[in-house]
Amino acid sequence: MLSELNSKNLRFKRGKLGSLAKREAWIGMAFIAPWIVGFFLWTFGPMLASLLFSFTDFNLLRREEIQWIGLDNFRRFFTDPLVRQAVKVSLTFAFIALPVSVIQPILMAALLNDGRLWARRLFTTLFYMPAVVPFVSAVYVWSGIMNVQTGWFNRALAVLGVQGPDWLGSQVWIYRSLVMIGLWGVGNMMLMTLATMQGVPTELYEAAKVDGAGPLTQFRHITLPLITPVIFYNLVLTSIGIVQYFLVPFVLKGPNGDPGNATWFYGMHLYKEAFSYSNMGYGATMAWMLFIFVMIFTVILFSTQKYWVYYAGGED
Amino acid sequence: MSKVKYLVVALLLLLGLMLVACGGDTEKADPVVEEPAAAEEVEEPAAEEVEEPAEEAVEEPAEEPAAVEATEEPVADEAMGDKVQVRWFVGLGTGADPEQVEQEQALVDEFNATHDDIELVVEFVDNSQAPDQLKTQVAAGDPPDIVGPVGQSGVNDFDGLFLDLEPYLADYDWSDFDADSIDAYRMDEQGLLGIPFAVYPSMIFVNRDLFDEAGLDYPPQVYGEPYADGDAWTVEKYEELAMLLTVDANGNDATSPDFDPENIVQFGAHTQWTDPRGQLAALFGADNFIDADGNAVISDRWRDGLNWYYEGMHEKHFMPNSTYQGSDLLAAGNPFDSGNVAMAHVHLWYKCCLGNVPNWDMAVVPSYNDAGDVTVKLHADTFRIFDATEHPEEAVVVLNWLTGEAAGDFLQIYGGFPARNSLQEDFISSLDEQFPQGVNWQVAIDGLAYPDIPNHESNLPNYAKAYDRIGAFQTLYETEPALDLNAEIDTLISDLDVIFHE
Amino acid sequence: MNNKNMVTKSSPLYGEMKKFLGKITYTLIATVILLVFLSPLAYMATTSLKSRDMIAQADGPILPMAPVTFEYKEREHPVLKVPDESGNIAELAVVKKGREESIFVDPQNPEAGEIVWTGRWRTLEPVREFAPQWDNFSYAWTQLNMPRLLRNTLIIAFVSMVGTIISSTMVAYGFSRFRIPGKDLLFLILIATIMLPAFVTIVPTYVLFASIGWTGTFLPLIVPHFFGNAYNVFLLRQFFMSIPKALDEAAMIDGAGPMRRLIYIILPQSVPVLVAVGIFHFIWAWNDFFGPLLYLSTKPELQPIAIGIQRFNAQFSARPHLVQASAFWGMFLPLILFFLAQKVFMKGIVFTGVDK
Repeated sequence: MLSELNSKNLRFKRGKLGSLAKREAWIGMAFIAPWIVGFFLWTFGPMLASLLFSFTDFNLLRREEIQWIGLDNFRRFFTDPLVRQAVKVSLTFAFIALPVSVIQPILMAALLNDGRLWARRLFTTLFYMPAVVPFVSAVYVWSGIMNVQTGWFNRALAVLGVQGPDWLGSQVWIYRSLVMIGLWGVGNMMLMTLATMQGVPTELYEAAKVDGAGPLTQFRHITLPLITPVIFYNLVLTSIGIVQYFLVPFVLKGPNGDPGNATWFYGMHLYKEAFSYSNMGYGATMAWMLFIFVMIFTVILFSTQKYWVYYAGGED
Repeated sequence: MSKVKYLVVALLLLLGLMLVACGGDTEKADPVVEEPAAAEEVEEPAAEEVEEPAEEAVEEPAEEPAAVEATEEPVADEAMGDKVQVRWFVGLGTGADPEQVEQEQALVDEFNATHDDIELVVEFVDNSQAPDQLKTQVAAGDPPDIVGPVGQSGVNDFDGLFLDLEPYLADYDWSDFDADSIDAYRMDEQGLLGIPFAVYPSMIFVNRDLFDEAGLDYPPQVYGEPYADGDAWTVEKYEELAMLLTVDANGNDATSPDFDPENIVQFGAHTQWTDPRGQLAALFGADNFIDADGNAVISDRWRDGLNWYYEGMHEKHFMPNSTYQGSDLLAAGNPFDSGNVAMAHVHLWYKCCLGNVPNWDMAVVPSYNDAGDVTVKLHADTFRIFDATEHPEEAVVVLNWLTGEAAGDFLQIYGGFPARNSLQEDFISSLDEQFPQGVNWQVAIDGLAYPDIPNHESNLPNYAKAYDRIGAFQTLYETEPALDLNAEIDTLISDLDVIFHE
Repeated sequence: MNNKNMVTKSSPLYGEMKKFLGKITYTLIATVILLVFLSPLAYMATTSLKSRDMIAQADGPILPMAPVTFEYKEREHPVLKVPDESGNIAELAVVKKGREESIFVDPQNPEAGEIVWTGRWRTLEPVREFAPQWDNFSYAWTQLNMPRLLRNTLIIAFVSMVGTIISSTMVAYGFSRFRIPGKDLLFLILIATIMLPAFVTIVPTYVLFASIGWTGTFLPLIVPHFFGNAYNVFLLRQFFMSIPKALDEAAMIDGAGPMRRLIYIILPQSVPVLVAVGIFHFIWAWNDFFGPLLYLSTKPELQPIAIGIQRFNAQFSARPHLVQASAFWGMFLPLILFFLAQKVFMKGIVFTGVDK
């Protein structure tokens, strides 16, 4: 593998673009072109429009009265107490949910990857199953089993003599409950991790065994480094998803952030301003502020790649 | 490896083909088949345009305003021949359930077959998604022509966007309607916004089996009559019965010292499927949270009413709190039809959703004071035309058809009680076929004489936000057992005042 | 991983036994974890087999058990377990409920007449029988209009799947194998397209598609997938970057052009990941709700399954058994597909290593 890393440096002279490099750049661009064309056709216009909206008082139902109001929306953004509440809620949730949703797929994949497991295909399918449960049905199921009085959870706890919590009604428990519900959504990430683990060359493990490494050491020093590209992928996409999260609590607890604003997620505030209150201008402002935040976070994540993500094909 | 892959692909292709084949004869499959082909064509130029993607592509989406205007052309193009296309949006109220859709579409097809100049196109959107969908269309400058059937609360968000019908209905024959029901659609500055279509008075739905079990007489069915024991039929009496009809798992009723509020299996009363304004108008007279000057207020009787509901849920326990309302015991949100609620205040449209309680009947709404005054809160549905329509004449033709010639058929589909006097008798006989246990429908008709004015769904300034604030208050008092309710009411009113003046 | 040389104790049989026991223990532990993980699905399953009555019973049993009833004077009456003075239990039908005393009839011997029993009937245990309501599934199938939903969903999912696989492969290849000035920035823009909450681009996007007359057709749901998609490009790029460059460099020296290298070097190693992208896209398209809602709201006959199920759920929200039965129809095809395809793509959505 070391030799591959070296060969990369041999191919091109550093610095200026030679004619060969120019040619390579053009060919590369040709391959990327479908996305670039698609970006300008479908994505760029609406994104630009929403950016422009953020400087206006665009009301969905009064489109002919639209006015340019400069930075008013941004001023409002920084003084809006509900924005503060929403940021607090979303960050609180992200703080619990992000580590769980990054680590859980790894643990599940490790469980399924073990040679001692029989009927692995069946197990994998069953572990994946919750990922295809239609969204609304899943919310029904969870609200049913988490009902304080008639839910399975508290009925089971009552058998053990424990008074169960108010899973969905308590401001403390609601986050834990939402994270639990979220555990059901990691199917894709689990699969990618599992498949990556299965691709780890067997001889690496055999060599480690000869050196007397136990299963944990093997996992720590062989499996984990080799699955870092998929962990990175998961980390980036989960972070982007988690700051926009609100649909589950929205369907579960209604549009008012119950209990006591504990589910007043940023995405909820944004959706309500943009659609329920028709304030698309302010909604766009909120969306772009979120965009800036996520962008900075992602750039930082990408720049950390070189310290911990291992690409066998080189990073160029 | 590849064997499995081929198997999967083959299986799915087969399934797809089968479905296209079976579905094809019932639906118009033509557009479906064409589109994938078109999709592939689009892909090719994209791959070739490698060299100059930027300039060509940037232009198109950048000219947003131009695009908005352009939307009007395809609409006109689609109209076949000389037919003017009229778009009708269904879903803000009832009307978008699958079995309704089929029947509505059949009537629309009939309309189209008999009209050479108009093509009526219907858009059915599920109720929960309809407001956002309609807003998107309005914001994109592409609103439908007609919307409905829809009640007052469904159009509050869209206030000011509807057409004044007065100029188009100069010679209209209004003799089939009660004057009150027409005036309900006359707005001060906006003119006449609808033709009465369906009305839904409210009443108390009674589960007779639960009264039998408790050995109690049924509540009265004539306005002004007392309860069987001679006491006046008031909210107080209603509460007394409800306490006796609330039972825990051991068979103790809510008046018993042994009553266990954690294990209630049957509730005496519930004001079902409404918001605080509805709950209050139901049993405490018609008022509003806003006064003539636009300030937020609450009347004393409404404040008392809120206290009554609060105590009923959390102290006397004869009404389900929000946890019980959402539990399986009360059918996860349809309490009366679970069979575990003895009396529920709902509107006539609730017959839509009754299938589980075999022996129900109606009783009159109790009076809210000793003088015997009673309010029977009313829902009314109609159709409205968007002011932005380009074909007002044709839209009015469709409107007249919906509320006139075809009204009887549509009201059957929606289960709406006809606003036209001439249609009411037929409607009631069809109801008796549906509910053979013998329901006293006269209770509903009599209730029309006591409508709530102002209506509990009437518009408020900054409606969506005000409505949310009121909804948050409802969740609070239906959930929290240890509130300083009067302090919370004061907070609500001051918050509403801010929202009204925003 | 199944290393046959690892027997450490003296007897090979002992080693085999130990391995066998290890497998049993491990699989048992995994089964317990699985059962906990899937317990909500059991709730879904039992709920979908219940009737409305069974759901509304206070503290009713977990399984779909119906109270046994007996017809007396043209009405159905529940059968309860009634104790007499000596403590013997008789199964009697309660024909007139009362608070402190009720009237019963013996279903075995109705001619014997009415029996008055003093006590509270609510404290008696009902006689129940196992009565799963399989009809819920056929009812949901018909109400959903499943054949039409499946046809629409499969068309949308398959065509867009083909589009996204072809285009995302090309774009990911470009991002992972070529040096392009400003590539990092371009890639960041690619990722950025999923950072902006979709709510604020809905209106302009709708305007865009309405202006070219595509609303009310499948086109807005299909065509954009022929231009690469950030999720899939990112995934494929991660994968391609993990394939060592030794092979394509060798091919390049042999004079193979970029397209040949993609087809003959990269793709053969990537079949599993491409199948994976296909499956993920298929399941995504299967569950996609907002797109179809926006563009097909006017055309019920073209709507896919996610909208059908949502509409059904809204209509039957107070009938949880039907909601869960409809969920079953929403799940079964993706699951079968997934189970069958698993073998292919489990071979590796492999980011690392050459040897598999």
